[in-house]
Amino acid sequence: MPGVTITGLHKSYGDVGAVVGLDLRVEPGELVALLGPSGCGKTTTLRLVAGFLKPEAGEIRVGDRCLSSPAVVIPPERRRMAMIFQSYALWPHMTVEQNVAYGLRLRKASKADRERRVRDILQAVRLPGYGSRYPGELSGGQQQRVAVARALVVEPEILLLDEPLSNLDASLREEMRFEIRRLHEQFHITTLYVTHDQSEAMVISDRVAVLQHGRVAQIGRAEELFERPRTRFVAEFIGRTNLIDAVADGPSTVACGTVRLRVAATDLVPGAPVALSIRPHQIALRPGRAGGAATADNVLGGEVVRASFLGDSVDYQIRVAGSGTVLRVAGPTPPRARAGDAVSLLIPAAACLPLPDSVTP
Amino acid sequence: MAVEAGARRHPSWLEGLDRSAPVWALAAAALLLLILLPLGWLAYMSVSGERGFTFGHYARVFTDPRLQAALGNTLVLAFWSGIAAVAVGAPMAWLTARTDLPGARGIKSLVMASFVTPPFLGAFAWVMLAGPNAGYLNRLYRSLTGAEDPIVNIFTMTGLIFVVTLYTFPYVYIMIANTLGLIASDLEEAAAILGANRLYVALTVTLPMVLPAILGGFILAVLQALALFGSPAILALPAGFHTITTQVWSLFQYPPKVEMAAAFSVPLLLSTALLLLAQKKLLGRRGYASVGGKGAQRRIIALGPWRYPALLACLAVLGAAVFLPYGILAKAAFSRAWAQPLTWDNFTLGNWSFTFLYSSTQSAIVNTLELGVLTACVGAGLAALLAYVTTRQLVVGHQVLAFLTLAPVVIPGIVLAVALFIAYTRPPFLLYGTLWILFIAYLTKEMPVGYSQSDATFRGIHPELEEAGRILGAGRLRVLREITAPLAKSGIIATWCFVFIGVIRELSASIILFTPNTKVMSVVIFDLKEEGQFGAIAVLGLFMLVMTFGVVVLMQSLLGRDVMGGRASGAPG
Repeated sequence: MPGVTITGLHKSYGDVGAVVGLDLRVEPGELVALLGPSGCGKTTTLRLVAGFLKPEAGEIRVGDRCLSSPAVVIPPERRRMAMIFQSYALWPHMTVEQNVAYGLRLRKASKADRERRVRDILQAVRLPGYGSRYPGELSGGQQQRVAVARALVVEPEILLLDEPLSNLDASLREEMRFEIRRLHEQFHITTLYVTHDQSEAMVISDRVAVLQHGRVAQIGRAEELFERPRTRFVAEFIGRTNLIDAVADGPSTVACGTVRLRVAATDLVPGAPVALSIRPHQIALRPGRAGGAATADNVLGGEVVRASFLGDSVDYQIRVAGSGTVLRVAGPTPPRARAGDAVSLLIPAAACLPLPDSVTP
Repeated sequence: MAVEAGARRHPSWLEGLDRSAPVWALAAAALLLLILLPLGWLAYMSVSGERGFTFGHYARVFTDPRLQAALGNTLVLAFWSGIAAVAVGAPMAWLTARTDLPGARGIKSLVMASFVTPPFLGAFAWVMLAGPNAGYLNRLYRSLTGAEDPIVNIFTMTGLIFVVTLYTFPYVYIMIANTLGLIASDLEEAAAILGANRLYVALTVTLPMVLPAILGGFILAVLQALALFGSPAILALPAGFHTITTQVWSLFQYPPKVEMAAAFSVPLLLSTALLLLAQKKLLGRRGYASVGGKGAQRRIIALGPWRYPALLACLAVLGAAVFLPYGILAKAAFSRAWAQPLTWDNFTLGNWSFTFLYSSTQSAIVNTLELGVLTACVGAGLAALLAYVTTRQLVVGHQVLAFLTLAPVVIPGIVLAVALFIAYTRPPFLLYGTLWILFIAYLTKEMPVGYSQSDATFRGIHPELEEAGRILGAGRLRVLREITAPLAKSGIIATWCFVFIGVIRELSASIILFTPNTKVMSVVIFDLKEEGQFGAIAVLGLFMLVMTFGVVVLMQSLLGRDVMGGRASGAPG
């Protein structure tokens, strides 16, 4: 089972660079999600890997085979890949069985072998007995499963998925996430999965590559990205966060207006602008004014602007005393403060992440 | 499964080669040959004199009083036909699309019937109806009033404009009906709720929104009239005047003055190109022309006491375009003498046996059907390939290819014929005198219609359906055969039908390119007129109409929708 290595990939449409020097390594048997907002180049990257597009620079290798370079692009049909499309792309003039068996026929599998493998894979995607239906007779979720079966049945070296769940309704989408993860654990095919939905990416993948402006902003396991985002963009894109513009005034302290905060760093250059990321759930909220006792935590006074009950948590907006900053705080239910109440906020220094590139390009 | 790639790290360029490339290249080359070769020769011929380059032909074209007169007549004909077509087509479109006019669906079908009627056939029918001496309506008038003079004379400019209008107003009708269908009533209701009365709404909201369609329809009608050969040849020549097209044709009569014809063709070509460009500009601002969306609620306006007068007016137009001409053709087909009342004595099947057994008409029918089937097959195939290449952007310069495929829209049939005559009467392609030159003419002429139809078909097939086949291991040609072709089948059959209908009625190019052995039905109809064989003309005309309607019905049942609606921007002439 080979992995995928992408180095220095470039692709532009007209003057607009869609992919700008993208590097990515997918280990054999690994599932990597390409996550990013629309226009970040994730689908273009996938189509470059599939061989539908030709790169202007860089290389795509599978194992030690070079499949794409500006000089040569091996056509999609000779890449030993399979792909699942956003539209499912099931052929409406073929039955489910014919759809699934199509790739096997191209691989010259015998009739008996074909029938057995189609039956097995339909079993695996939990659609046994649907072989003689036409795609038009299936629900969206069932069509999705057929598309998955058609891709998996050929035992591809690489599996590509282009936002495969975006056409499903919310509950089905959640179910199919686990389904795709289950199938990946069953077949262990090296997989690239494009999505703009961060929780989908987190559930399904081994690692997530966050794409921004045609490059990988950061790649890592979901927890790594969440706990140690390296850029402001990643911090904002993965989970909710408070981003505060501040100025370093010591190696591990920053100033934001008259408020000083200890942060999770020891190498700040005093005077340098810093973006601080503080996750709402890492801030503890206490009713009443801040107590005087010094602790390891930052303690800030503030006033509740709004408290919204969300069922399993309470979403507070707190205006911090001594600065205009409004912080989002996620607190437990029942609500402990109402709009207009004075509160104090406890923020561990470890929760204050200074991000090196404070300005988004 | 697949073999492991081994130690080779870099594939050769051959491995990366798309094996389908030669097919696309070939289709593109065929198109270039089809269009650029004749037009190149036309341009060359129009400026080549005995001692090299000259503008002499152009100078003569614009100074010769006879040619000037033809130019003037064409302008008069085109302009007034355009005005009349809008005057007839626009109200009818509004009546059928927006009001409670009784029988609106029937009216619509009849407009389509007049749309597919070959204009030269209508002109013939109107010769029989309104010729000054034997014309049916004039004899009726004389017998009723005892008057000596005819009430109408079709052999006049007015008569010509009248007949041309009858068969060009459907272009305006379709364009405006489509636009009205896209304007949601809420836009009008939004104005009404703000306090505007009905007339004010119509003037300030509805009219400005359909105005581009009206202008576009006008230009299209003008284009049709400019390029028409049959109607002027039948009505203007006996009246003693020429239009550009008949003038080009007469320049081809012995001794042929090819250079003059070429020089006369180029201005016609340029003016149609300019007009079409203007029309595209007008309609291209779609956000303006077709606000709203499909399925938008449309309010039906009650005509009240005007319902039946409006219906009567529509029926009068359709009577002139369909009922009267078809009726007189049917009568003539079964009469010994078409001008006499249809009594038992006057009844005959002789016209039918004459038409189908007489060798010259018989061979023309065979030629027409052969050319129709061959052109439709090759045309649908080539159009499908080219549309596929351009919608999937398979070759560099696919935009140029799309432009070239649509380019013949601006070439009037007679101009195309002149160009083809020049191109294929000399080496390396000596095709004049064979059916092949007609085949090439029809193929070129029908390419825009076929291409638009195929283009719509392929746009309707999601590219991911093909990509899914590619990534599973099928080459592009295999995907084309096993996935695209089955999905595009009904669209391609529709293309076939469009081309076939276009070919069997073609006159303006055939009239230049035929030779005694390569006559087609339309040319024979034209010849029979010289011999006064109106019975045989009627039979051939009805045969042509039956084939046309048969194919239209076949097509509608195949596609399960109204197929004629999208054709309003078809080729002129």
